[in-house]
Amino acid sequence: MEEYNYYILFPNVTEGLKLEKLLKSEGISYTIVPTPRELSKCCGICIMYEYKDENQIKLLVEKHVIKTEGFRNLQKKKQAVKFI
Amino acid sequence: MADYRELWTNLGMDLEKHDVLCAALPELYGGVYLSQQNRPEGMNYYNFVISEVHGLRIKELDDHKKAGGKVVGTFCVFVPDELILAAGAIGVGLCGGSQFWIEDGEKVMPRNICPLVKAMVGAKVGGTCPYFQSCDMLTGETTCDAKKKAWEILGEYTPIHVMDLPQMKREKDYKKWAEEIEDYKGKLEELTGNKITEEKLAAAIKLCNRKRAVLQRLYDARKALNVPISGKDALLVSQIAFYDNPERFIEMTNKLCDELENRIKEGAGVASDKSPRIMITGTPMAIPNWKMHHLIEESGAVVVCEETCTGTRYFEKEVDETQTTMEGMIKALADRYLNINCACFTPNKGREEDIVRLAREYGADGVIYYNLQFCHTYNIEYRQVEKALKEAGIPVIFIETDYSNDDTGQLQTRIEAFLEMLK
Repeated sequence: MEEYNYYILFPNVTEGLKLEKLLKSEGISYTIVPTPRELSKCCGICIMYEYKDENQIKLLVEKHVIKTEGFRNLQKKKQAVKFI
Repeated sequence: MADYRELWTNLGMDLEKHDVLCAALPELYGGVYLSQQNRPEGMNYYNFVISEVHGLRIKELDDHKKAGGKVVGTFCVFVPDELILAAGAIGVGLCGGSQFWIEDGEKVMPRNICPLVKAMVGAKVGGTCPYFQSCDMLTGETTCDAKKKAWEILGEYTPIHVMDLPQMKREKDYKKWAEEIEDYKGKLEELTGNKITEEKLAAAIKLCNRKRAVLQRLYDARKALNVPISGKDALLVSQIAFYDNPERFIEMTNKLCDELENRIKEGAGVASDKSPRIMITGTPMAIPNWKMHHLIEESGAVVVCEETCTGTRYFEKEVDETQTTMEGMIKALADRYLNINCACFTPNKGREEDIVRLAREYGADGVIYYNLQFCHTYNIEYRQVEKALKEAGIPVIFIETDYSNDDTGQLQTRIEAFLEMLK
């Protein structure tokens, strides 16, 4: 079965950090990650979450009027690390 | 996502070339860092800093400059941050840790120079590092021949002040270093237009000591039998210490340490109790050089300490806070900084003692001597360090490498054989 990672993109850092604060207070697990290149050409933060929490996060985003640039997913990759 | 292209354009960067680096970082970071199991939640802050490494912090530097402030770049743990802060400037560590910058570095320097120096020069001449581009002044020092000559190249791009670091530790060398610090104070006052008063310097000394204390607290957590944080995560925290806002860094790292200390109480470690504990000693690891830690930890060991400039040499020993006169404070700075045991000194017995002491303090099963290619002083000093470790009954292996992917398979094999021997 294919496995996916789930991401929330933001128009700026402030919106991302607002949601981070809410996720923390609601006890929803998340990871701040650099935005994968496949999802956006602009670098900066995005939030990786677990699919089971998606509906709850969408409700929080709506309730607290947080601006996002969408909920996205990417197939997990298993490849050797390439140092840059 | 936030668009920093306008900011980068204003800094005179080569956007197209820089984009190659931006494109590669998320995947590298994902592979090295986000693939780890059972990471402390507090690492989210450092994920945030890396995600915004060429964004938000650069914006903060830009805001500071727009308000009339200055940004000063440094390359070495011998340069006292206290003076930069006391002058109201922001200091940023500029050492280069990416293969990406080597090609541009080799355009102006010979190939047989250490990758750290080639990368830092390449980052400037190629216009692909926004930290370099933000600097009003650079501060060099005379810790190695490659750096000494690199300052002459970098000076063509940005004003540079070079501190002449003595390479012996006699009484007259401490006096000479105090004079160099005094000169640097004058230079910073001239650059910023701000007078460094006793009051400001005392406050900066306290701030830098608090930063040292939190890094020591982080390292102390790694002494636990059940190591609560991976070596690569601890390395990342140390690397970020060189350019983050000091107050914010102290606050967030203290929070991380609270979590790590709870983990120790609960017995929640990142490695099995059978994982060999490795100490690294040798040359510095600048962002995004995570190669050695990644290879070691992928092989099932855990790195518990680094006796490097991006490790204990950066934070061990505090500056005496009891001095109240300018002369006393400058002497206190000279005494603390010249006590760092770098391979540029002769003799350098103190480093051998540090390594044996740290290996014992951190319960290391073995030591990996990490040498960046063409770093002659550290390379030569291996002989004495190996002897001291053998006498102490601590196994050691010498690994020389660069930033490339060319030798990773070979290194993995050598590391695995070394770890096997430790079991």
